[in-house]
Amino acid sequence: MARMKFYCDPERCIECNACVTACKNENEVPWGVNRRRVVTINDGEEGERSLSVACMHCSDAPCATVCPVDCFYTTQDGVVLHDKDICIGCGYCFYACPFGAPQFPEDGAFATRGKMDKCTFCAGGPEADNSSDEQRKYGSNRLAEGKLPLCAEMCSTKALLAGDADTISEIYRKRIINRSASVMARGVSYRDASFRAPYNAAGKSSAKE
Amino acid sequence: MIRSKILQFDSGDGTPAGWLLLLLLLLYSLPLDTIAKEAVSRGLPSAAVLNPAAELWRDVRQRDQPTTGSTQVRGVDSGVLINAYGDRWRKFRMQQLIPIGGYMLMGIVVVLAVFYLVRGKVPIEGGESDRKLPRYSTYERMIHWFIASIFLFLAITGLILLFGRPVLIPMLGKETFSILASACKEGHNLMGPLFLLALILVFIKFVRRNIYQKGDLSWLLRGGGIIGPKHVPSNFFNMGEKTMFWMLVLVGSLIVVSGLVLVFPLFGQGREWMELAHVGHAIGALLMIGVIIGHIYIGTIGMEGAIEGMKTGYCDLNWAKEHHDLWASRAEARGEALSNEAVGQLRDLDPLPSSLGARTQEAGK
Amino acid sequence: MIGQFIDGPLWTFSLAVFLIGVIWRIVAILMAGNRPDLATPKGSAGAGALRALFSRFLPERTVATHGRLQLIAGYLFHLGLLALLFFAQPHIDFIADRITGLSWPAMPHWAFIVAAELAFAGLILLWLYRILNPVTRLLSDLDDHIGTILVFLVMLTGCLALAQAFEPLRLIHLLLAELLLIYFPFSKLMHAFTFIMSRGYTGATMGRKGVNA
Repeated sequence: MARMKFYCDPERCIECNACVTACKNENEVPWGVNRRRVVTINDGEEGERSLSVACMHCSDAPCATVCPVDCFYTTQDGVVLHDKDICIGCGYCFYACPFGAPQFPEDGAFATRGKMDKCTFCAGGPEADNSSDEQRKYGSNRLAEGKLPLCAEMCSTKALLAGDADTISEIYRKRIINRSASVMARGVSYRDASFRAPYNAAGKSSAKE
Repeated sequence: MIRSKILQFDSGDGTPAGWLLLLLLLLYSLPLDTIAKEAVSRGLPSAAVLNPAAELWRDVRQRDQPTTGSTQVRGVDSGVLINAYGDRWRKFRMQQLIPIGGYMLMGIVVVLAVFYLVRGKVPIEGGESDRKLPRYSTYERMIHWFIASIFLFLAITGLILLFGRPVLIPMLGKETFSILASACKEGHNLMGPLFLLALILVFIKFVRRNIYQKGDLSWLLRGGGIIGPKHVPSNFFNMGEKTMFWMLVLVGSLIVVSGLVLVFPLFGQGREWMELAHVGHAIGALLMIGVIIGHIYIGTIGMEGAIEGMKTGYCDLNWAKEHHDLWASRAEARGEALSNEAVGQLRDLDPLPSSLGARTQEAGK
Repeated sequence: MIGQFIDGPLWTFSLAVFLIGVIWRIVAILMAGNRPDLATPKGSAGAGALRALFSRFLPERTVATHGRLQLIAGYLFHLGLLALLFFAQPHIDFIADRITGLSWPAMPHWAFIVAAELAFAGLILLWLYRILNPVTRLLSDLDDHIGTILVFLVMLTGCLALAQAFEPLRLIHLLLAELLLIYFPFSKLMHAFTFIMSRGYTGATMGRKGVNA
């Protein structure tokens, strides 16, 4: 059985925010909700790196543990989904989640949040696959159509990878092998910011698979 | 230093072999970092140089403080990649709050039940007298039952939200329980701020009689009459009641403030603040619920005549003398005691009549 | 099943009972008529009626000084209830959808909840006063308690249904509101309409006598 995972390669992410836009468009998320976001650390400084973050579909998901109404479930593909018919919008999943994945359509006084919304790995919800109810509540169900999440599918640098954990880690492992040679040669860390190959160093680019 | 402490704690047994191992670990763990750093700074190829991406993740993952980046997404904390406090909060809630809190509340109920079986209802020793003392005015009873009803509502809805998943979902099923939970959540959020209003009213009205006095220590030393000869003298409120009042004020304020932090997520408070507020709110509320269970016990089945004052405004003179001697003798000396017949007739009178009440009464006759 | 009944026929029925009942009660009061007053009028009856109608929104001095909490609670409850009944978004939507077809601007959600809270505080305090004060306890009959409890339950179930996401909660709120509508015309709750007539009658009598009261 597949175990779906995201991986974002900070050496490749160029902070174009296409994944964010693609997600919003594909899932028609409510205004104010961002299922995916790109965070840049050390912005404008040496060692700047960007990462695209969304729900990581944890194996032992903290959100599911703390939910007072037990509305989360994990699919056979290892995707963590939730049932909006059961969610009461208490916000506990938002407190527990390390990645800030759970989002709420409202943030008004008296803790009016509305139903929680988060990345579904483009796998919809508990309703019948691609039914209009599912579309309305959770957005599209690409997984049921045999497609991967759109954010990763359209990532131009293939920084964001989505799919079976085995495949993802294999791709990433190859990238690391490729890179570690240059890291060993130069002995630098990301903090020194010189890890990325200079423009004139033809044929020495690290940004290969 | 910190690392060594943790290791000591973990090794636990403290055998010589364990200590030796520890020492070795310490010796090795410290310089390795330095060696690695030197290798990096000299630009030497070294196995200690790690994958930059892994290094980045470690930075992001650091638990002392969250690394904050910049992002196009608006919102509180949206630049935080990993909020490590969330996990601590989860552990607190799932492994400590829910089990320990549940056992604590059950324990209080069991202790009270055992106490009741052993001691029984505390009677009025001298039997009911033929005279009564006016104890609480209408206004005092009003705000007491006001805060009582709001507290009970908040306690019940809060307990349903806290213990619903382990206790009620197996009984009701998820769908039914989510309806109940939504009702409780909305009701709790709406009624919560009213508790602040009730708390203020109660504080203003009762604070003067609840300041600790000289006799309170001896009351405490004699366990409020549980230890040794009975009839511990006390004023209008005894030491236990005063302590409950101050707990209500202080713990109640903690509950109110933390509740407001949670219910108005408008002032840029991030998850850490809300997690902290949740911890304070939960501990304070469970503590207060425990105290109030005891309060309700004494008021209902625990003691004869205790609830009369809050119900009717009058209390039995003998009860007053046994439990609030100092106040009762003063009130009796002032001639406040009324015969039962008079009280029976006056039950339709405001115990501390305002001129309006008196006038209406006359007009009624 | 039962949901459809609450949402459909019972709603129509309760609204009909409410409207017909209220009109019947008001017409009955108006039909009771007045004995002709043969005395020479010393002032305007109409002006007196209007003056009494509006001036008595403000409390009499003795009431204001002696029953401050009841006074404040009374205002909180009535104003809060008015605001949340007619200016909360869900209620406006419901009225527009089911009754009038007209809608008007709603107050923001937080103001709606604040209004509800004030109304709750007022209602609870007033009812406690009613049962704890010896005078009001004697004066109260079953009708008063049923009216208060019904209004309280309607407000409480409304507050529990605030998430507007769970149909059963909305139906419970609607059911209690329907019971209230049916109960309304036959109870003291009619004061929501009849206060105009009673104040007007007193004011007109006084005004005709030339008394400013």
